[in-house]
Amino acid sequence: MSDQPSLPATAGGVPAPLQPERPFDLRGRVALVTGTARPLGGAIAVALAEAGADVALAGLTGSADEHFQVNSAANQVWSLGRRNLALQVDLTDPVAVEAAVQQVEDEWRRLDLLVNAQDLLFAMPFGETSLEEWNATLAANLTSVALTCQAAGRVMLRAGYGRIINVASVAGDRGVMNMAAYAAAKSGVLALTRALATEWARTGVTVNTVQVGWYEDQAGIGDDPEHRKTLTKILPARALVTNDEVTGAVVMLAADSGYFTGQIIAVDGAATARI
Amino acid sequence: MTVLDRLRLDGRVALITGSGRGLGRAMALAFADAGADVVCSARTQAEIEAVADEVRAKGRRAAAVQADVTDSAAVERMVERSLAELGRIDILVHNAGGRTAGDGRPLHTISEADWLAGIDANLTSTVSCIRAVIPQMLELGHGKILTTASGLGLRGNRDLNMYTAAKAGVINLTRSLALSYGRQNIQINTMALGLFPQTEAQATRWGGGRYIPVGRFGTTWEIGPVAVFLCSPAADGINGAVIVQDGGGLAGGVTPFGWAPRIPLPGILA
Repeated sequence: MSDQPSLPATAGGVPAPLQPERPFDLRGRVALVTGTARPLGGAIAVALAEAGADVALAGLTGSADEHFQVNSAANQVWSLGRRNLALQVDLTDPVAVEAAVQQVEDEWRRLDLLVNAQDLLFAMPFGETSLEEWNATLAANLTSVALTCQAAGRVMLRAGYGRIINVASVAGDRGVMNMAAYAAAKSGVLALTRALATEWARTGVTVNTVQVGWYEDQAGIGDDPEHRKTLTKILPARALVTNDEVTGAVVMLAADSGYFTGQIIAVDGAATARI
Repeated sequence: MTVLDRLRLDGRVALITGSGRGLGRAMALAFADAGADVVCSARTQAEIEAVADEVRAKGRRAAAVQADVTDSAAVERMVERSLAELGRIDILVHNAGGRTAGDGRPLHTISEADWLAGIDANLTSTVSCIRAVIPQMLELGHGKILTTASGLGLRGNRDLNMYTAAKAGVINLTRSLALSYGRQNIQINTMALGLFPQTEAQATRWGGGRYIPVGRFGTTWEIGPVAVFLCSPAADGINGAVIVQDGGGLAGGVTPFGWAPRIPLPGILA
């Protein structure tokens, strides 16, 4: 590889399995989980706390209603004996995201894990989609991920350690009618994941995505009887994805030794295994 | 039940082929640490006996069942003996396989026997092992199967004919079987590993790992937690998936790693 530019060696060298009997232990780690106003994000925050992490929680819009939900997930983290921090932040505002990450660093002096679990579903025929709707869908589902990755990533790059886990959707990988904007945003998350994983490969920061199928607690899907009925009929698993099926993948990636990066884990009951 | 409970394998019995050494052994030990009893299988009896002893030393039950997975009758006997020894098989990890004679040579120079041996070792052995364990997983009402693919099952490589074709076959076989048995609560996934050298010679031949995005090879034990996760109840929603653990190799790879240009936007914001 004589054409290889000069590069830093791998950060931190080869890790040693200090506690083989506790491979998913996150005690001492600090996590920032976004999208916790919704049940999936809340379940992820709780799972990270169960594995031992202290958790800062954000929603998506920073609205008062949403903050009530974020606080309720934060209380569950606290009841598990872990430290919590409920942040009221609009994830599409770069200044607010920077301030939120700064607040976590000020409080706990570190930030090891970032989970982007925000999700804003939008489905309309593309011919009827306005630029405002397009922009709002991209901002909530893609730009917000970029902003948190950048703000948290800077902290992680300084520390030489970080685990970033994005939650995307099967719609980012396959065509779905009426979901052009949503699909473009979720597909953007997959591309962002691979690009950042490569760019930060030698810094100790890994970036992966959990690509979730249509899930029980997804606003607009699980709470709509018609959509539920149709999806459970056509999905290979005959069921929507549950929160418990997602949290394990997040915890595994959060605890990983650093060789798992730039990858997409499909938690979709074989939906994308089929044509 | 917390997420850490769902990431356990307590009460499960795992059959792991190719577990006499290397990555298979690492999985056997990680599974034992996670609470599983383990049937160790490979061609070399002394090696699987030793790994079974290591599993027992962790307080789990273990059996050493010798088998050549390229012989489907031997695979049937392996499963029968596993059931006789530990009573059930909740998890199959088919890890046996690898490069075979003639791989790495141009296609027109290899014999049909070379071709068939490569397909047998990696693809047909996967079929035999899964076929043999499915009936009793259907009886149990659940099962987890983990097959072994490779980054070379997703991308091509010059003169690696049997290996790349067989591993690509393993990947799509895994997807189809996942759809066939998913509704019977059997999840079937495949792991595509990057470079995890098992000998100094391999590490040297593979150039020390400098060109891998993270800058190093995989370390053998690192497969353990990922395999435990995939075979645990925490992964019940994952089926027909290709799980890649490769130090960023497949995420990048279009350009030489390290090429990091700075090209400002023309005119507008520069």
